[in-house]
Amino acid sequence: MANGQKLVVKIADMKMAQYGEELITYALGSCIGICLQDKRTKLSALIHIMLPINMEAGRKNTMKYADTGIRETLKQMEARGARRANIVAKVAGGAKMFETAQGSALGNIGKRNADSVHMILRAEKIPLLAEDLGGTTARTISFDPGTGKVTVRSYGKADYVI
Amino acid sequence: MEIKNYDDLGSMEMDTLREVGSIGTGNAATALSGLLNRRVRITMPEVRIMEYNEAIDWIGGPENVTAGVLVRIGGDIGGIMLSVLPLEFVNMVLECMLDNKVEEFEHLDELQRSALVEVGNIMISTFINALSGLSGVTMELTVPSLTVDMQGAILAVPMAEYGGQTDYLMTIGGNFTCDDYELPCRLLLSPEIRGLNYLLRKLGVTNG
Repeated sequence: MANGQKLVVKIADMKMAQYGEELITYALGSCIGICLQDKRTKLSALIHIMLPINMEAGRKNTMKYADTGIRETLKQMEARGARRANIVAKVAGGAKMFETAQGSALGNIGKRNADSVHMILRAEKIPLLAEDLGGTTARTISFDPGTGKVTVRSYGKADYVI
Repeated sequence: MEIKNYDDLGSMEMDTLREVGSIGTGNAATALSGLLNRRVRITMPEVRIMEYNEAIDWIGGPENVTAGVLVRIGGDIGGIMLSVLPLEFVNMVLECMLDNKVEEFEHLDELQRSALVEVGNIMISTFINALSGLSGVTMELTVPSLTVDMQGAILAVPMAEYGGQTDYLMTIGGNFTCDDYELPCRLLLSPEIRGLNYLLRKLGVTNG
């Protein structure tokens, strides 16, 4: 386990870390935490996205959305020396927090987030090594750049690693 | 004046919403008082417009586990109403209604869960009825739904719902006290921007 600095990724946020540090994001409900890593250099990033597709006019808040979040992060990782061919992904989140009879006009946001993340990763040719998506419980995830392991913590369940 | 974002709201609109929130939570407190047979009052009603992460800090951190009752609003205006019930409040309700309590949320049984749904639902529907009567706006409510989980993820539901329109979360609501003892229970209405414009117009606030 990394015992170095703990970097907290907030909602609609992204942070990068190196070997020895730890990336953490709390209480992912329908949001998804996307962990990206260059296997060689260990340069790692964690994005906390909230919605599937960025349709904002100015596209300012890139990390709020799966599409612009992943693409912008890949760009920033490459700018810091990562090679696209070495980058792999692990994702968690996309739960449905409330069981409502009449869903919103937008449908199940968690599911749509998951579909969008899959689609973008496939389009960017990033292999998805592991995922823990869906269900009805919130997740806190911590990502260790040293090992590439992602620990998922949920209320009322034992921690597990993907 | 048509607002496009929550920060466009002027002081007059904010005052009106605060007033509406105060009447809504006041009615909810009266309903709760009748149900529990205790004296329930509201503390300062508030209208807040917060950036996502600010909202998470305000509710008391992302990972604390609470019970949330959620109702979707349809009809003339759209929105989400949440009743956020921490363990302390849950136990007060259970003691009054069922004469029992739980050490932890995990131990809630079926009957206790349905009591919580009912309490949340009564507070929410009384609030909405007051708002509807005051403004003449028709609002339809969905069946309430209960979840017990990290409060950050519960609060993220209204954020994600309107996330495509705004980077902020707007909440109208307040806290309750029961027998002069402050209980951290929050009643939050998050309106959709279009519906908010309609509501303000119906309430007679047209320019800010």
